[in-house]
Amino acid sequence: MNPEPFLQLDRVIHEKGRLAIMSMLAASPELSFTELRDALTMTDGNLTTHIRALQQEGYLAVAKSYQNNRPLTTCSLTAAGRKAFAEYINLLEQIIRQTRLK
Amino acid sequence: MESNWATEHLQTIRTLMERSAVYRRALAPIMFFVGSIGVLAAAAGLVFHLNSPRAFGGLWLGAALVAVAGAFLIARRQALKDHEPFWSPPTRRVTQALLPPLTAGMCLGVVFVLVGLANEFALAFIWLLFYGCALHAAGFFVPRGVKLFGWVYIALAGGCLFFLGIFHPDVEWSAHWLMGFFFGGLHLAYGAYLYLTEKGKNAA
Repeated sequence: MNPEPFLQLDRVIHEKGRLAIMSMLAASPELSFTELRDALTMTDGNLTTHIRALQQEGYLAVAKSYQNNRPLTTCSLTAAGRKAFAEYINLLEQIIRQTRLK
Repeated sequence: MESNWATEHLQTIRTLMERSAVYRRALAPIMFFVGSIGVLAAAAGLVFHLNSPRAFGGLWLGAALVAVAGAFLIARRQALKDHEPFWSPPTRRVTQALLPPLTAGMCLGVVFVLVGLANEFALAFIWLLFYGCALHAAGFFVPRGVKLFGWVYIALAGGCLFFLGIFHPDVEWSAHWLMGFFFGGLHLAYGAYLYLTEKGKNAA
């Protein structure tokens, strides 16, 4: 099997928690911090760490605002994040195809 | 081995993407509210003998407006409580799915009443069938059997229409009973089912 697609997998996205965040955001224009936390059953600290890592990579944009005098944090994928996620999916499909052909 | 791992990964991604697009507010309080409005409207119709097509249509359109407004307020209250935006993408999807059949049913009902084409039974069946279609459409974005609930409406209302149309065309009881059963009773029953099966999300 050609190991190249596997080696090309984005290490930032490949981590389980970050991949879950990227998947959720890929299907929705934006999600609040609490929506992500509840849907993925993560702790606040864990989610914050993953969001920060994705943000540093330029994959995720975080917007802070107020709704009815309460702080509201919303996350969305950036264009770079969408591209990286699409490439990640393509590579996974490539791995599956290569293994089947073998 | 590699293929299994990649396939499982893709499946997880697909599941998460589907979950992200689904409406997650607790539905039991909304169903209880809508059911209560249905029962109250039916009782008002029966007590005050609002049996002419115009009175019948006016009463139930008013009840529908109150039910929709109340449902939105309950959903908004849940969103605020959870520190989440109310007009989220899943809420928009559900609204977009509900609107066409509800608008079509309302237009058809209003026009039929205004031009004298429909009696109160015809109105009831038009609204029940369109409401079933609306629930079914919304069910694509809502978990907890809403799609099936839509089919229950369509099947029961269709069955009743067939039975009454063929075997009892001269019905002597009021159509408010029909509306009360469907819009009141069925919503309350579904609300009770949701309340008993939803965990910790009913305190809206």
